[in-house]
Amino acid sequence: PTIPPTTSEPTLDISEMTGVHIDPSRAPVAFGRLAIPELFAQLVEPDAARRLRALASLCDLTHDPERLYQVVSEGFLDQLEVLLKDGDAAVRTRTCELLHLVTSHNIARQALLSSPLLARLSQLLDDPSPLCRTRAHRVMNSLALLPAGAKALQALVPKLMLKLQEEQEEKEEEVQALLLSTLSCCSRLDAAPALSHRGVTLIGRKLSHACSNIRREAAGAMMALSVIVIAMSQVCEAAVLPVLADLLRDQDVDVQANAAGAIMNTVVITTGKHQCLELDVLPVLLELLSQRKPDVEEEQRRKALVLYSLRALTSLAEAPEGRRRLLLQLPLLVGRSEPPEEDADIRRAARTAVNVVTWTP
Amino acid sequence: MTSVSQRDKNATYVFSSRPRPVESRSKFSGSPTETPQYGNIMYDRRVIRGNVHSQHMLPAKTTMQAADIQQQHRFRRRSVEFMRSRDHVWFKTHDNLPGRKHVDVQTDSYLEELSNILVTKDIDSQTDRFLDRPATPLFIPAKSGEDVATQIEEGELFDFDREVQPVLEVLVGKTIEQSLLEVMEEEELACLRAQQRAFEQLRNAELAEVQRLQEQERRRNEEKECRIAQQKEAVRKEKETAEMIAAQACAQQFLSKLFPAVFASLRRHGYFYDPVERDIEVNFFQWLMAEVNNTLEKRNSARLLLDTIIHDIALERRDFFKDLEAELVQSD
Repeated sequence: PTIPPTTSEPTLDISEMTGVHIDPSRAPVAFGRLAIPELFAQLVEPDAARRLRALASLCDLTHDPERLYQVVSEGFLDQLEVLLKDGDAAVRTRTCELLHLVTSHNIARQALLSSPLLARLSQLLDDPSPLCRTRAHRVMNSLALLPAGAKALQALVPKLMLKLQEEQEEKEEEVQALLLSTLSCCSRLDAAPALSHRGVTLIGRKLSHACSNIRREAAGAMMALSVIVIAMSQVCEAAVLPVLADLLRDQDVDVQANAAGAIMNTVVITTGKHQCLELDVLPVLLELLSQRKPDVEEEQRRKALVLYSLRALTSLAEAPEGRRRLLLQLPLLVGRSEPPEEDADIRRAARTAVNVVTWTP
Repeated sequence: MTSVSQRDKNATYVFSSRPRPVESRSKFSGSPTETPQYGNIMYDRRVIRGNVHSQHMLPAKTTMQAADIQQQHRFRRRSVEFMRSRDHVWFKTHDNLPGRKHVDVQTDSYLEELSNILVTKDIDSQTDRFLDRPATPLFIPAKSGEDVATQIEEGELFDFDREVQPVLEVLVGKTIEQSLLEVMEEEELACLRAQQRAFEQLRNAELAEVQRLQEQERRRNEEKECRIAQQKEAVRKEKETAEMIAAQACAQQFLSKLFPAVFASLRRHGYFYDPVERDIEVNFFQWLMAEVNNTLEKRNSARLLLDTIIHDIALERRDFFKDLEAELVQSD
């Protein structure tokens, strides 16, 4: 058996030209610019298996940007709406996969956002098939990474919060991670809807999950939420800070960075400062700061962590207790603000920290 | 128009020119810039017509004298006129000179025999006895087309290894190019994502800074407000105390004068009295006044009475005097 045509170019296989289906799971692809219209014409057939095959071929073809452009510009995306309501779960799953491939390009994203596909997609989040749900979440996530998409998805935030609550019983880690990522993107634009649906409590519970992806996303979501003052007070009340402080000692750099970010946002208010000082977060942050990895790539990845720690320390230095303790550690901060430090942003942050620490009324 | 080419010194001289109509220009024409008159080439003197072999061919390099040229021109003109006039069809020969005979002679270079007797030959044929029709032979169509033969020389056969090289190069090149492009695309995407992440981190950090500063500002403002309020309160209290003190002093001053004034006024109003004096005033004076009143009343009435009497008397006297006067007048 020959290799199935997975490339984006039409194959010159003779047996294909004579109509023999080499790969039974994929419909034959027409040549040139008729490929896409013909496959879409096959999508309205009553037989589910044929539709599935056509979808499989389409998924392969849309890796090519030219084909994708053809799909979008000739308005075939609206036909997919019918397919999302299809009875067969596999068809729905494949359609979601197709949509996910399509969202890697800007024109397709814009077309998706302006079409009624979005409403359909949100209905798919309740789909009985778990794979379908996962794919739908993936599409949502890739849409949410775009600011316009995040704005369009704002209306869905309550539903997503509900989902978050429900997903606690399930073992679907990927779905949870995607959900949290989508929520953090939406909250970056406007954190109010998520907050009003008990965002802090729900996300706080996820912070101590076993999977590091989920922890990272949850910490990221927490960081995005805690930009608003109300959220900061909620975080302090809900006793999330101890969990965040624990996360600072996590293995994964991204988890640490996000936790540091969440802390940096929360210590802006006085209650946060006091709680953090009680929890003895200061030495942990200082230690994170003083660590220097020899590898340049590692340093790049740690840059976020260092930056956030510096900002957190700056906020903590405004409390008299914090200032007193940080004055003892001043050389470390000054060391980070001098030219041996390559990154200009870190230097700037360190300089502000030094200024705040040495401020006298 | 005209082109002359000589391939090499030994080759023939080749001349070629574009066909152009020949101008007929008389010798005594004006300047050559006038519109040329095109003559009919059929009647052009320069064109040689007719059978070339029968004409008198000029040798290639004879220089012609002027008289010869003129004679030739004359002959030509006459022959042209002659041809035109068609008289030469019934050409009459001279009469026979005595003793001579006219004989037709062929003057062409190739002689032919003219005679009336036709040489004939008889040939006949007879069909054979009828034979059976023979079987039709197999129809083998005649070979049509050309016979072509090939001889495969050495080195003409297709050498796969050599031929496949450019094809392979193109294939491999294109594949590598495509894959390089895709890898670059992915790298670009990764780069973009890294940039996005860096921006996001910076944004978060700056946002935290902004929040912190905002909070600081808010706290400072609050503190300021608080202090200002406190200060205001203090000032107000001070003012109030000052006012109270002033009021107290004023009141004290006022009150200090109050007592004697009160007593004086009370005394004035008669609230402190001597009981004997009072008694005398109340009882005695009343009676006294009443008596005085009575007395005065009496005196008053007496005076009044007197007044009336005087009045009456006065009236009476007036009346009397009036009567008197009247009488006086009357008596006059």
